[in-house]
Amino acid sequence: MSAQVDDELWSAVGDPIRRRMIDLLLAGAATATGLAEQLPVTRQAVAKHLAVLDRVGLVHAATAGRERRYRVDEAQLARAVAQLSAVGDAWDSRLDRIKRIAETIQQTQDRKNRKTRQEDE
Amino acid sequence: MEYASIEREIRIEAAPEVVFDVVSSPEHLKDWWPDEAEYGSVPGAAGRIGFRNEDGSVQWEQFTVVDAQPPRLFSFRWTHAEGETAAQGNSFLVVFELEPEGAGTVLRMTETGFRERGWTEAVAAQEHAAHVSGWDFFLPRLPAAAEKAAR
Repeated sequence: MSAQVDDELWSAVGDPIRRRMIDLLLAGAATATGLAEQLPVTRQAVAKHLAVLDRVGLVHAATAGRERRYRVDEAQLARAVAQLSAVGDAWDSRLDRIKRIAETIQQTQDRKNRKTRQEDE
Repeated sequence: MEYASIEREIRIEAAPEVVFDVVSSPEHLKDWWPDEAEYGSVPGAAGRIGFRNEDGSVQWEQFTVVDAQPPRLFSFRWTHAEGETAAQGNSFLVVFELEPEGAGTVLRMTETGFRERGWTEAVAAQEHAAHVSGWDFFLPRLPAAAEKAAR
């Protein structure tokens, strides 16, 4: 997939309202009206957000009766989540190393201080 | 912009002064991230960090300290082009905030700039930085290697 699509996918899931919409769709909501009832935004805003999600392939729409019904593309969602966690994982291991290094230094300092105190006594 | 950042918080059993030194000094930075680090710790000082490739050559990334208030705050920008001044839009901003808690420290890390720079570029920079520095490259491959050896 192109870099452009990756960037759009990232900003599509980056918006908190759209993330909430994905949660609601996964929990069973299926129409713009249904989503608008559970969100602090207008039906028009919901439709706009749905269009963004649709464009990056996170939701698919099908016309059923008078309203369009939406469902989440779980494969695409998994892909977005994996991208999101890639950078996070790198930081997790860096922070883990920071913790280990700092704690080792602290322990060495504490030992030295204890020794100095014992010698003073 | 909350959606353009990565945020982490970790509790460390060490004094803020110790943690500050580990996250900010070039000598210690090399212990937890790049293979090479050349920068002054004062705000605005331009520098660079390097990641060693497998063939021994070094891939350099620009690195500029934005703010340093020991032992509470350290921030820097990285990945801007050589010769450019680090600013919003051309680099990633990393902020470390240190909060004393008992005898230890709560360390908060935020990295922003993904929206301005593009997500793909962020992943590429991070993956490169992770892959060429030993453990991160090796650890994910261990299970596969062990499985192969057991066959």
